[in-house]
Amino acid sequence: MPADTVQLLSPSRRNFLKALGMTAAIGLINACTNDGATATTAAGGTGGTGSTAATGGSGAGNFPETPEWSFTFVNHVTTNPFFVPTVYGIEDASAILGTTFQWTGSEIADNAEMVNAMEAAIAAEADGIGVCLVDLEAFNGPTDEALAAGIPVIAYNADTPPGNPNNRLCYVGQDLYGSGFEMGNRIVELVGEGKVALFIATPGQLNIQPRIDGAMDAITESGAAIEATAITTGAALEEELTNVEAWYLGNQDATGMFAVDAGSTQAVGQVVRDQNARDNALVGAGGYDLLPETVELVSEGVLDFTIDQQPYLQGFLPTLYLYLYKLSGGVVTPPETNTGLVFLDSASAQLFLETASRFEGDAAEQAIVEPVG
Amino acid sequence: MTDIAVAPPRPQTIWGRVGDFLVRRPESTIAVVALALAAYFAVVNPAFLSTANIRIISQYMIATAILAAGQVMLLISGEIDLSMGNVYFMTPFLVFFASEAGLVLPLAIVVGVLGAGVVGYLNGAISLGFGIPSFIVTLGMGFIINGFTLNISDGFPKRVPSTAVGVAIFGGANFSGLMWVIIIITGMHLILTYSRWGVYTVAVGGNPLGASEAGVPSRNIKMRNFILAAMLAGFAGVIEGIRVGSFDPGAGVAGAKVFESVAAAVIGGTALTGGSGTIIGAFLGALVLGILRDGFNLEGVSAFTFTMVLGAAIILAMILNSLANKARIRSQSARL
Repeated sequence: MPADTVQLLSPSRRNFLKALGMTAAIGLINACTNDGATATTAAGGTGGTGSTAATGGSGAGNFPETPEWSFTFVNHVTTNPFFVPTVYGIEDASAILGTTFQWTGSEIADNAEMVNAMEAAIAAEADGIGVCLVDLEAFNGPTDEALAAGIPVIAYNADTPPGNPNNRLCYVGQDLYGSGFEMGNRIVELVGEGKVALFIATPGQLNIQPRIDGAMDAITESGAAIEATAITTGAALEEELTNVEAWYLGNQDATGMFAVDAGSTQAVGQVVRDQNARDNALVGAGGYDLLPETVELVSEGVLDFTIDQQPYLQGFLPTLYLYLYKLSGGVVTPPETNTGLVFLDSASAQLFLETASRFEGDAAEQAIVEPVG
Repeated sequence: MTDIAVAPPRPQTIWGRVGDFLVRRPESTIAVVALALAAYFAVVNPAFLSTANIRIISQYMIATAILAAGQVMLLISGEIDLSMGNVYFMTPFLVFFASEAGLVLPLAIVVGVLGAGVVGYLNGAISLGFGIPSFIVTLGMGFIINGFTLNISDGFPKRVPSTAVGVAIFGGANFSGLMWVIIIITGMHLILTYSRWGVYTVAVGGNPLGASEAGVPSRNIKMRNFILAAMLAGFAGVIEGIRVGSFDPGAGVAGAKVFESVAAAVIGGTALTGGSGTIIGAFLGALVLGILRDGFNLEGVSAFTFTMVLGAAIILAMILNSLANKARIRSQSARL
């Protein structure tokens, strides 16, 4: 070999081996996070794929042994605490049925990232896909691709309106427009008249926009003398608080402040409390979902109500449905499932306040929850 | 008689020449990293090399690569544009309104990209006119454009008509995004390496005082780079919006987009301090990021650990790159 080629090789041989070591290190990090280990974070969230409980022999319960099916759940706000119970639900269902799952998508509601994640799942031949249909168009193509590849697709938490050409097998979640309409009726009952703000984190997103549409429609239909405005608060909790506060300080004659998503609801409650809004003109405040602070504020009467959509079921049921669909070869088709429109007021909020469980997302232990007397 | 050090004879074999060429190019090290990662993921998951997955990797790359190309020209000349993420989300709405007004899609896209260019012009004019660091000016401009986008769109996503003329070419067809990436990267690389514009850009970034003393029109060059970067950002936003089928105001996403473009540029070998950089490197940087994201998704890494693993992998990839680069430089100097 010519001398200079040897020189080319020899200094880099040592570095080549170092480089090999680096690549192996990358692989090891990967392996550590992927072999079913579940890490619990401080917020009670979980990482990694679900652990499988199947112990050889026949399958779950009465069922025959099944291959280790893997379901991919694509979400628009993967690290939002609202979905912590959803992930618990998926974990628990996976443990019963012997399946695994991947929780992926976008942290910041980036449609393109979610579409990429869904298509990666299709390329990886996932056995089932759950997806939040937060956009009218973006997921229609990938859904059809998945179905064509024989992968069942279930929508959870957010759905496209009727008549939209998305071919998902079913929707598991809250009736979004209906819940908004009910809230609108509740607003008319509570407030009666005056200036009302309806806060929404990210307008146009299909898991919350229909709620505000429903509320606005209910208010208009009732003919009440209510001037309702939709205000955007943003996708992150801190900025939601700031935006609600800013609006209130500029509109202290408001008679009602309501919100259609978890973060904005908590923000409304905090502002009502901190600004003593009920000493001014405010007579009604409420919203959605059960962030711990929200539940506390409802039980104290700061908020009149919050609406529960049972996020635990939005993870548990799709897993079950996908499993049954695969097991039955498509004979058992998953049904449209309304996970609930439950109005929680100060009395019923007590149960949630005094218990912490996987179903609410604020505790990771498996336990039987004693009903509050 | 003293011994004079004599350089070893230049290699004459074809492999010697190829090796020589590769060793000279700074991008070769990041290319090796990209290949190593691809090999690792291909071994771990056979689906990695399927056509569908290659397409998905290209999809992960489109926005980052195009934005990085614009960012590289600015970084080399000593500036930066943090508003690119917001221009990325604004331009599709300009295109939407232009096409609602009756323009056919390709013309509407031209209008949108020109609108993005206006933002770039403003960025340049304010930074250079008042002597304010472009970091701050473009940061502020980013907020302005964010609000502007939310206002013109009412915060609501808009549907992309799937039957408009040219939809397939501008992001609708499967590999059209990749095609545009290749066209843009090649074009930008030629500009940077073979045109006066490129040479002046490097001069202005590497030695601003010397360059202007030598008669390089630095203000003009930087303005061009600002306008070009904004136009590329706008174009990327349009083709990605068309691919997804919906133009979204992307309220929370802009920051992440521009940040990733800077990351791709730096991973590819462009110095943040200016004076040196490579478009091909930015492409490879975007490729590395795309391979990592796609590979981990294929493997089923869940969201909570995803960012940890991604971050660790990026750092390790950069360490690898740096070691390989040192080896490259050492073997180069061994030839002198």
